[in-house]
Parts: sequence; structure tokens; C-alpha cells
Amino acid sequence: MTSADTALPAHPLEAAPVAQHRAPRRASFVRRHGRAIAALALLAVVMFPFLWLVHLAFKPAADLFEDSLLFTPTLDGFRALLQGNFLRSFLNSLAVSTLSTGLSLAIGVPAAYALTRWRFPGRRHVALWILVTRMAPPIAFTIPFFLAYRWLGLQDTILGLALVYLTFNLAIVIWLMQTFFEAVPTALEEAAYIDGCGVWQAFWRITLPLAAPGVAATAVLCFIFAWNDFFYALILTRTQAVTAPVAIVNFLQYEGWEWSKIAAGGTLVMLPVVVFTVLVRKYLVRGLTAGGVKD
Amino acid sequence: MTQRRHLLQAATGIGASLLLPGLASAQTGGARRFQGVTLNVSTFSAAYPKLLQQWLPEFEAQTGARVNFDAPSFPVYNQRADLELSTKGAAYDVVNVTFIYSSRWINSGWLTPLDEFIANPQLTAADWDVNDFLSGARAPETGRDGKLYGIPWTAEALLSVSSRFDLVQQAGLEFPDTTDDLVKVLRAVNKKERVAGFVSDSHYGWTFVPYLHAFGGDVFRKAPDDLFPTLDTPEAIAAADYYAQLIREFGPDGAVTYQPDQVTQALKLGRVNFSDAGQLHLAQLGDAATSRTLKTVKFGFVPKGPAGRFPGTAVHGLGIPAGSRNKEAAWAFIQWALSRQTTRRAVAAGYGSPSRRSDIDSAEFRSRQRINGSDLAQLSLDTITQAERTGHMKYRTVSVYPQVDQQLNKAIALIATGQANARQAMQQAQAQSIAELRRAGQKI
Repeated sequence: MTSADTALPAHPLEAAPVAQHRAPRRASFVRRHGRAIAALALLAVVMFPFLWLVHLAFKPAADLFEDSLLFTPTLDGFRALLQGNFLRSFLNSLAVSTLSTGLSLAIGVPAAYALTRWRFPGRRHVALWILVTRMAPPIAFTIPFFLAYRWLGLQDTILGLALVYLTFNLAIVIWLMQTFFEAVPTALEEAAYIDGCGVWQAFWRITLPLAAPGVAATAVLCFIFAWNDFFYALILTRTQAVTAPVAIVNFLQYEGWEWSKIAAGGTLVMLPVVVFTVLVRKYLVRGLTAGGVKD
Repeated sequence: MTQRRHLLQAATGIGASLLLPGLASAQTGGARRFQGVTLNVSTFSAAYPKLLQQWLPEFEAQTGARVNFDAPSFPVYNQRADLELSTKGAAYDVVNVTFIYSSRWINSGWLTPLDEFIANPQLTAADWDVNDFLSGARAPETGRDGKLYGIPWTAEALLSVSSRFDLVQQAGLEFPDTTDDLVKVLRAVNKKERVAGFVSDSHYGWTFVPYLHAFGGDVFRKAPDDLFPTLDTPEAIAAADYYAQLIREFGPDGAVTYQPDQVTQALKLGRVNFSDAGQLHLAQLGDAATSRTLKTVKFGFVPKGPAGRFPGTAVHGLGIPAGSRNKEAAWAFIQWALSRQTTRRAVAAGYGSPSRRSDIDSAEFRSRQRINGSDLAQLSLDTITQAERTGHMKYRTVSVYPQVDQQLNKAIALIATGQANARQAMQQAQAQSIAELRRAGQKI
């Protein structure tokens, strides 16, 4: 028996086929590309300040206040910048941010794991108290740090600044990483224990690799927060450990502002964060969306 | 690097000894008396400190002291110095006594009185002559105890400018002398040749106050003794209304956001005609390489109002923190940095805001400060002299002025942008100033 034999007769109410097919009307350009246009428009708004800064960095000083967008690009701003102490400040920023991120992860990741996996009295309170450091404004910590650092000889040092950044980075690491560790099934660790792993081995070989996207995302955020800090660096540095944001503000001279240097410095300061984010963006997207949907 | 530094010191030492005989003889123990001492000097970055940094090897060679000279930007310096001084730290041996903080720093006992150093012939050269510094510049550096806590390196005056005075002349008018004249002139020239009439630095706690005084108002009831704010008096409201009207009616787009440097650039490019600004900024209009208004610019006093003329002045000096452990060496540095020889040399190098009368009167300085027929030096000198005579700048060196300053900035911006009328904005500024002063511990 073929399928044709079993075919049902046409329903009497079924519409008769249209004799003449009209060619489907072509969708308008805007309807077809609407989303792309909207996205580009939004991107233009978001990117405008950055593009304007970059364009100023390459504009000759004499033309900075001219309305025209046509100019012969120059590297004078960058040259002037690098002839001074800016490169040192830039490297200081790099060192402080890297050290602070490393310290935050080294302390925060195991702490987050412990808070996630181990049950002990006051566990929730501990997590909450850690978060308090994010709730208080930086000014609340400034004077105590300033006085303590003077006594300890940590003023105007890379290490001193990196340690201060733990006040805001450690809380981020612990709270974010708790979420990522919770997403890793405990059964995997239990299987590792059966295979002979200790707690540390199970964490290092099983849990941490599975939470790697989360670590990457957290590292990027820590780095950005440390990289962009101005306030602590302003108060706790003098000459040796001055970071790039403070160095840029130092171009606001009493008699006038050094716009070319400010723009060139601003452009250079954006680069590491952009490069770092591009390098880990795969992990960043995975990390930041992890746990967004319940299984 | 170290070798090069020693060579430079040795080479300049001979010259410096010849250049600065007064300093050498004034120091018992002779040359290189401060061998082994490291002096930490901090000022904000400006023309004069930059010159001192260039000449440091001479001081080091002569005294034996090593100098760490830190000169961050104005806002960065003030934050750091205020914190360092308030904790009586020993991080700095010489600091800039910032004008707006001078009363707070001096009267809190955070600085060292300099009178004993000056009076001691063993420590100060006979020809150093503290009285050569303008008395109007020394006044803000003097404490309530009558002692001097800072030696001024700049005495700056707030002056009025017309970058396109040719447009004013074409309209058959003169440089405005009064607040009424200014409005009349601005109505005649505003938007002529696409030049906006008026703009000012949006730090209105500095630029608006001469108008507040001109209308008969004041910031406090009687600074520094009675610090009750007087921002909601009829005179203050009228002044605020007038000033905000200037910005709203004659200002360029975004006038309420202009920073000092933007004002200078707008004047140099001839995009804005009138403004009030500090002499150091205005002198840049005389730079043939960057100023397009060199041949059309004219300077004058800030306009007088119904109550008179009250131009602003700003003075910065070098002082010694109370916590310094090298006070004698610090004084030797200040003495060298502001000796007749050094200040004269700075003027020769193009420095535009000296505080020694002998420098201001020098032919070299006068000729350089003459820009397109205007005698900027004389205008500044007259302004500083007048400020000393009237005492109207006392409001600015009281310890809590920065709080009121913020309220004035906000009030003028609110009126100029039409978010509040003058009465509402100034009453709000008054109420918030009182709250801020009480929070700061003032009994009002």
C-alpha cells in the first residue's frame, strides 16, 4: 500500500490554489539591514569619544582647536610623551595591574573554592564581610593606608599599590569565582577522589580547568579595575611608582594643558586593556554568561 | 648618570659661587655645608619651578645638598600636599604654599615660620631683602600671628581682555570700564565675524567673585573673622544674574564647560572676544607663533560695578613644612630659589609673573610684557596693589573657602543654563555653604 492510496481527500473548505503567483515583493533595504544599521549607529555613538581621542593624538598641535577633520597626521604627541617619564609610568601601570591581578587570583580563587565547597560556621558572613571592601568608598581607606604605608615604607612602591588594589579586586575574584565553582558538578571531584586525588589535586586538575573561562573573565575585570585606578595612585605615589592615569593628569599644566600629550597618553593607556580583552574574549563571553541559564 | 651629575655639579659650582655670593657667605661652614643632606622639594608644575629644576645642579654644587624635585600638576600636587601636611609628615622639606590652601596650612601650624631664618645674618644673605617682594604678595603668605610662612614666586592678577578689540573700535566704542559698559560693548560686537562675545573659565569661584564684589556683595560677612556666607543678599543675586547673563547671551556653545586652557585657546584663535583671566594665561596671546590675535588684542582691568573695582589676585610661595627634618637646608634652597640673581635670571628666561618689585620694574620685564600697546606688567602691579589696599581677597585664603567655591561654581552654571533663576540658585548655594561650613566645624 502506497502513501497515495492512503491520502486523504482534499477538505472542501480548503482554499483552491491561486492560479497566478505574484512575485514576492523585495524587502526594502532598511528592513533587510535594519539591525545592522542600528548596531552600527549604536557603535558609532559608543566609539565616538575613543575615535575622537585617537584622532587628537595624531593631530598636529597647531591644528588641535581647528574644526577641520582634514590634517596631516603626526607622531609629535607620542614623541613628546615618550621623551618624558610617561613610559616609566606606563610600565608602572602594567606592573601594578599585573601584580595586583596575580595576587588577587592567587588569594581569591582558593578562597572562593573553599567558600563554595566547604561547610563551616559563619561561611556566609565571611563572604559578606569580604564584599564590604567594595561597598566602602576608596576615600575611607586612604588615610589609614597612607599612614600605614609611611610607617612601613611602602609609599610610592609598586608592591604597595598592588596590595591596596586587593581591597577592591579580592572581593570581585571571590564573589565571581564562587559562581563559577558552583557551576562545576561536585561529582567530578568525587570521581577524582575515588581515583586517588587529594583535595588540592582535584581542585588543581579538575575544578580549576573547568572554571578557566571564569578565571579569565575575572582576571580581565581585575586588570581593568587596577589599570584604571586614579585615586589610590594619586595619594600613595610620589615619583617612583606613578601610574599612567596620574601621569596623564600631570599634563594639566598651570599655564595651559598639553593636549597632544593628553590625547597620545589616553590612546596608549587604552591599548593594553583592548589587547588583553581581545586575547581572552572567547573566555570572557563564556565566563560572563556561565550560569545564565538553569539546567 | 651619577658621574655626569657630579661633573655638572662641579662645573656649575664655580659659576654658582660667583653668581650667588650672598648665599655662600651667609652659610656658616662655607660651601657644601649641606653635604649628605637630601632635600625633597614639591611644587605644582609651572613655569618658575621648571626653571628651578633646570638650575638645580648649581644649588647642589654650591651647598652639597641633593635635591629631589617633584612637580606634578596643580590638582595632583594639592591633594598630595594637603594630605602630607595634615599628617605632619617629613616627606617634604620645601612645598608650594598654594594660595587657596594658605590659610588652612598656615593657621593649622603645618608650616614653619620663616622670620627667624630671614632675620638671622648667618642664614640669610644681606642683599636677599625680603621687602623687595611685593607686600601684596606677602600678605596671603602671612599667618594670623603676623609671621611669614611662604616666600612668593608668583603674584598673578585677574585681568580683562578683548582679543578682537578691532571689532570694538569698528563699533566706535572703548574698552569697557564698567559692568554697564561691558554689556553695551558685548551687544555691539557679539557674533561679529563669527566671534562670540564673552567666555570665562568655569571655575566661577575665581572668575565671578570680582563681579560679586563689584555689585557690592561678598562671599563671607567679613573674612577671615566672620565666615557667615552672604551669597543670597540682593547684591549677590544681582551680580550672579548679571554674570550668568553674560555667559548665556554672549557665550559660545558649551560656554559653561570652558576650562582655563580652553579660554586661552579660544582667545588666541579669536573665537571669543572678551574674557577675564590670569595674567600668565593672557600673556600667551602675545606669542607670535601661536596667537592669531596678537595684533588685535587689548588688556584692561576687570570692570568696576556700582560698588567699585575688585580684581582677583593669586599668590603662590615656597614654604617649609613643620615636619621637615632639614629646615636649614630647606631655607637655603628657598633663599637660592628666590634670590635676586635667580629671579632676575628667570625674568631674562621669559618668566612672566615675578613677585620681586625689582624684577617687575626692570626694563627687560616691562618691554616683554608690553603686548600690542597694553602694559600687562603695570596692569598686574596695579591690580595686586589694589587688592592689598582693599583686602577684598581675604575671602580666598580662609580655610573653608574651597567648599563655598564649589557652591559658586554650581550656582552660576545653574543660572547660565536656565535650570534655576539667580535667586533660587544663590539661595541654594547659601544654604549648602552653611551646611558645608558647619560640617567643617565652623561655628556660624
